[in-house]
Amino acid sequence: MCTGRLDPAIVAKAFKKGLDGLLVVGCYFGDCHYISGNYQAQAKIEMTRRLFEHIGVNPQRLAFKQCSSGEAAVFVEIVNTFDATIRELGPLGGDGDAVRNPALSEKLATAEAVLAGEKMRWVIGKKTPFTTSGNMYGEIFTEHEFNRAIDMIIVEETEVQEILGQLRQKALSVAELAGSLAIPPARIFRYVTALKRKGFVALEGISGRSPKYKLISQEVS
Amino acid sequence: MPENHASDIRIGVFICHCGSNIAGYLDMEALADFAETRPHVVFVQRNLYTCSESGINEIKKGIQEQDLNRVVVASCTPRTHEPLFRSSCAEAGLNPYLFEMVNIRDQCSWVHMQEKTDATEKARELIGMGIAKAALLQPQEIILSEVQTRALVIGGGIAGLTASLSLARRGYEVVVVEKDQALGGMLNHLYKLGPQMQAAKELAAETVQKVNAHPKITVFTRAHVTQVKGFIGKFEVTVETQSGAKKIDIGIIIVATGAQPLVPEGLYGYDGKRTVTQFQLETMLAKGLDAAVRHVVMIQCVGSRNDERPFCAKICCQTAVKNAILIRRQYPETKVSILYRDMQMYGVENEAMFRDSKAAGVRYINYDPADPPQVKADKVGVYHPLLGRKMELAADLVVLSTPLLAREDAHETSQLLRVPVNENGFFLEGHVKLKPLDFATDGIFLCGSARFPANIREAVAQGLGAAARASIPLSKGSVEVEPIISVLADEDACRGCGLCVALCPYGALEVRQTEKGRKVHVINVACKGCGICAATCYQHALSINSFTDRQIEAQIDAFLTVHP
Ligand SMILES: Cc1cc2nc3c(=O)[nH]c(=O)nc-3n(C[C@H](O)[C@H](O)[C@H](O)COP(=O)(O)OP(=O)(O)OC[C@H]3O[C@@H](n4cnc5c(N)ncnc54)[C@H](O)[C@@H]3O)c2cc1C
Repeated sequence: MCTGRLDPAIVAKAFKKGLDGLLVVGCYFGDCHYISGNYQAQAKIEMTRRLFEHIGVNPQRLAFKQCSSGEAAVFVEIVNTFDATIRELGPLGGDGDAVRNPALSEKLATAEAVLAGEKMRWVIGKKTPFTTSGNMYGEIFTEHEFNRAIDMIIVEETEVQEILGQLRQKALSVAELAGSLAIPPARIFRYVTALKRKGFVALEGISGRSPKYKLISQEVS
Repeated sequence: MPENHASDIRIGVFICHCGSNIAGYLDMEALADFAETRPHVVFVQRNLYTCSESGINEIKKGIQEQDLNRVVVASCTPRTHEPLFRSSCAEAGLNPYLFEMVNIRDQCSWVHMQEKTDATEKARELIGMGIAKAALLQPQEIILSEVQTRALVIGGGIAGLTASLSLARRGYEVVVVEKDQALGGMLNHLYKLGPQMQAAKELAAETVQKVNAHPKITVFTRAHVTQVKGFIGKFEVTVETQSGAKKIDIGIIIVATGAQPLVPEGLYGYDGKRTVTQFQLETMLAKGLDAAVRHVVMIQCVGSRNDERPFCAKICCQTAVKNAILIRRQYPETKVSILYRDMQMYGVENEAMFRDSKAAGVRYINYDPADPPQVKADKVGVYHPLLGRKMELAADLVVLSTPLLAREDAHETSQLLRVPVNENGFFLEGHVKLKPLDFATDGIFLCGSARFPANIREAVAQGLGAAARASIPLSKGSVEVEPIISVLADEDACRGCGLCVALCPYGALEVRQTEKGRKVHVINVACKGCGICAATCYQHALSINSFTDRQIEAQIDAFLTVHP
């Protein structure tokens, strides 16, 4: 197994369960028995850090570092530095993070859903081709452009997962969702329409003059 | 599919003292007490040496008498001992993949020798995680795949030809693909070979003759490999030959593409006439040196051991000393000086050749790379550190010893075969000590200067070595593959999108049309179990045997609860 096995959704879940820091140490690029797994690990950790920052977890709690199996001193330095960082930050959801417990736990549940979801995984899986040989139109992205795209997707995907999270509890109208999530109704409306089209939500009924939406179970039999 | 029926799980935990290697630094009793409290653990035992015969017998006894169906050993590193413990489980009738190893020596007692309490705590966490994973382990079966008993050798230099002959003599078919017109490689351009001073053309002719005469060897010259598909035992190789493209089924591949000498443009007034390389000198010596040449100055480490090429090409010193001796013997009137930084004359024979050269009157002057020699019209200026002053050496002929470099097309070959090259462009072996002639990818081997500049002796030895390594799968006729690989665990979920296929570093995944539509297929033999695919699939359809999401999460949970 390789650092490439690292699944960001599992990472978010581990934090939700109480992890305070995660250090991933892989081989140097181009110097790995598994050839390219470390590139994947780095891209995934980088994306997860951006998502963490967005939801209020201090991104320093997550790190990707590299050293070779012959570099004991380097490894010790990496571990000690990370250890010091986490001790300084303290337990998750305390002074070290922008959002506190217990709200943070809910945010991490959202993050897990984002990281397990199709869009994020697709984009990150395509990072290497996007930044080296280009997308299907042959457009090549710079690292900076790619990260900007990732940031946009993070914002959208988080909001979508928050909507789904709310609907999981009960059917709600656009106005109700906008109220509890503090997202403008127009954006909520756009998300809900898209979710409806993809078969994730359906109209449940009309309460007063506003339609209410409910979640459709996605279980595959 | 449920991963287990929790109630039937009976875990045995064996904690090794490793003499005092572990027991001297950890609280072993506390570890055993802890293990007993973990779910599904029905048997815990401490052993002085779990890997000793008595330790192994204890494991077997535990499996038989305690009805254990999962075994955890907390001891040293799986790199050295996992095979032993696994086979012990198998001998006692337990599937070897229901075994889990926890390393409390390297990761605890060795690295935290002075911190008994913390080290014990860490060992508790690791053991807790190992037990949690063991409970979810599933039996696996070793994968067997057939091997086509035909070898492909790319490159017809002395290394490749030696490997080809060795394989052919063992009875395997060999296909040699050489891009040049003739076989022989670098030997075709050399004069005499040190240290024995055998004529290079003789060695080449002798070897080529044997190769051509061997019924099992097929040679394609002015040919190159254009496509390689498949994996160990079942490569499908396309070779562009003089008579068109040929598709050949191949079992193993040997890379023996050699290296090429640096042409030192712009260094020391290189002009290919009065200032030449050792490579050019070989041809000049074969034709006979110009009678007017009375003073030869050789300069070592030209274009190597600098910022651009930090490596020492290792054989240029031997070449210079050899050619200096040849000149002194054939043209006793001609003086030869070698300006060097360090002489790289490893081995008994080279050392003897070095001494011979001094006896033959070759002069050696050490130079400092910060103050390199200056090549002038008919002289070479150099600072002589022993005399403590600048000297001017007469020079009718200046010979530059330049390094052998990776072939210009090595990168293409590397992409074709999906094998790595190092920072200098030479092919990179699987492990410098443990797998020096194998690539990390199974079924592909390397030898000779393609790996790193080698002299003939080394190139031959490596050719024989690579052939020997390659003979293992060829003689078995099949390969056994570790079943810790990717599996399509949820076929219905797979949409056949191909995201994983593009990311797989081993070409081990492909999308196939099935009755249920497009689905990914794992080529078991090619998969190395790295897990990129499982970590990327948004349908969560792929999993890795013995590293499933559930197993990893169980370890995380154990870690978080053992040490809240
Ligand atoms: C100037 C000089 C002097 C030397 N003197 C001595 C000496 O005195 N004693 C000694 O022991 N050693 C000496 N050597 C070293 C010796 O030449 C090498 O050890 C030997 O040639 C290495 O053999 P090889 O088969 O690995 O590579 P090579 O001889 O380089 O053969 C590689 C072959 O592969 C072919 N090839 C390359 N790429 C491809 C491809 N993509 N497809 C198909 N074919 C390909 C090449 O055309 C070539 O035929 C000397 C080297 C030099 C440069």
